[in-house]
Amino acid sequence: MLDKIKSNFNTQTWVLIPIAIAINLVVGQIVLTLKLPVFLDSIGTVLVAVLCGPWAGALTGALSNTIAGIALDPGWFPWWPVAAMIGYMAGRMAEWGFFKSWWKVVVTGFVIALTAVIVSTPIAVYLFGGITASGSSFITAYLLQTGQGIWQAVASTSFITEPVDKITTAMLAFAIILGLPKRTVGGYPKAANAEAEGADRNQLYIAIGVIVLLVLFAAFMLRNILGG
Amino acid sequence: MHERLSFYIKRDSLIHRLNPLTKLVLVFAFIGIAFTFPWYWIGLFLFVFVLIPLAFIAKVSREYFFTATRLILPAAGFLFLMQALFQPIGEEIIFQFYFLDATRESLAFAFTIAARIIVMISAFTMLLLTTHPSELMSDLTRRGLPGQFAYVIISTLQILPQMQAKAQTIIAAQRSRGLDTESTFLKRAGSVLPLVGPLVFGSLVEVEERAIAIEARGFTSKKEKTSLHEVPDTVTDKTLRWILIILIILSILLNLWLS
Repeated sequence: MLDKIKSNFNTQTWVLIPIAIAINLVVGQIVLTLKLPVFLDSIGTVLVAVLCGPWAGALTGALSNTIAGIALDPGWFPWWPVAAMIGYMAGRMAEWGFFKSWWKVVVTGFVIALTAVIVSTPIAVYLFGGITASGSSFITAYLLQTGQGIWQAVASTSFITEPVDKITTAMLAFAIILGLPKRTVGGYPKAANAEAEGADRNQLYIAIGVIVLLVLFAAFMLRNILGG
Repeated sequence: MHERLSFYIKRDSLIHRLNPLTKLVLVFAFIGIAFTFPWYWIGLFLFVFVLIPLAFIAKVSREYFFTATRLILPAAGFLFLMQALFQPIGEEIIFQFYFLDATRESLAFAFTIAARIIVMISAFTMLLLTTHPSELMSDLTRRGLPGQFAYVIISTLQILPQMQAKAQTIIAAQRSRGLDTESTFLKRAGSVLPLVGPLVFGSLVEVEERAIAIEARGFTSKKEKTSLHEVPDTVTDKTLRWILIILIILSILLNLWLS
């Protein structure tokens, strides 16, 4: 167990982690200025998870929230378990070979999204009574008004918002790894996990199609909820 | 964006002189007690009678109130409104607007949650205002935290402002080439890659060089490292930490006993 954890960390891992955390936060801010309905604040976490392993990914996620709490807004602190689990699951999926082609990356993104839903729901319920300070809480609040239980309301809200965000995140991370020179990737402990089986253009288009479908699905759900 | 690296304000006060670990334990005591102590007004009590006087003792009251009005109160206020209007509990409706209603119970619940959040964030803010991150890290490293963690936290705090500046440059450069960052949804979504790409690739290329540089300075060396900067740890600190830990345990026990 301890050896497995240690195998994730070499000097290059330790150097990559701070940069990955900065990527998380700065890309999150860029996306915020573009006013897109996603966060994309875990690209760095997924990068570390794939290149260095699940434990390094989990550490990156947890520290990312800690540092966002120190440097930007203390409201980030309570969500560190979510970020850590995102990193861990991304790393595990990569170890199982699910980070080698576009459709596998989409599956990974979906699994990460599910993990995020499962971990964030108890935090939102116990710490904030279900309604957090984020914008998507309007949906939760509406679901609560319609008489749904608090757990259902919180979980279905994140189930609407998370998959689009996390699949896009995973795809961007994959695109970044594809674009890096082989020599740069080779120095990380789990470089083999990121070896692409050939990046098929058609698969990329299908993956983008999946995201568009998910966006439409979320929009449809929202209209149903708010209209009904 | 944020120019300042952290919240730290350099002053000389009783709180500034405390050992960083003591202040960290104090933060967890605030959180632990605010969440577990079985008394309805505990959050407000801690805020008014402990946190605010602490801000004056630490001589950071102006900065603290600035952070509070800019960051903490808006978040807590929003949370309070959302909870009060949307929690579907309670019968006795105090006021109603369209489909929104606030009941006595939902107001009470909203107040508890908001007070807890205010205490939690205020306590962290107080720690950050009075403790320099590298002081906290060197003290924790001396107590056995692996040096790599300290490296990650301190160097992220350094890289972050640099990367924010780089992001601003990239946004400006791409806009001057005609990249559309403001119009339709599709155009905005399309401009993610041209903005994120250069930023990420640019910083990932540095990794190998940095790794070699810190390796040359004995980063992975197992030998015990000496510290240039000694952080004092007094008897007062040790006693204070024990008192705080006992307070947390008492609060949890009271909670279990009364429920």
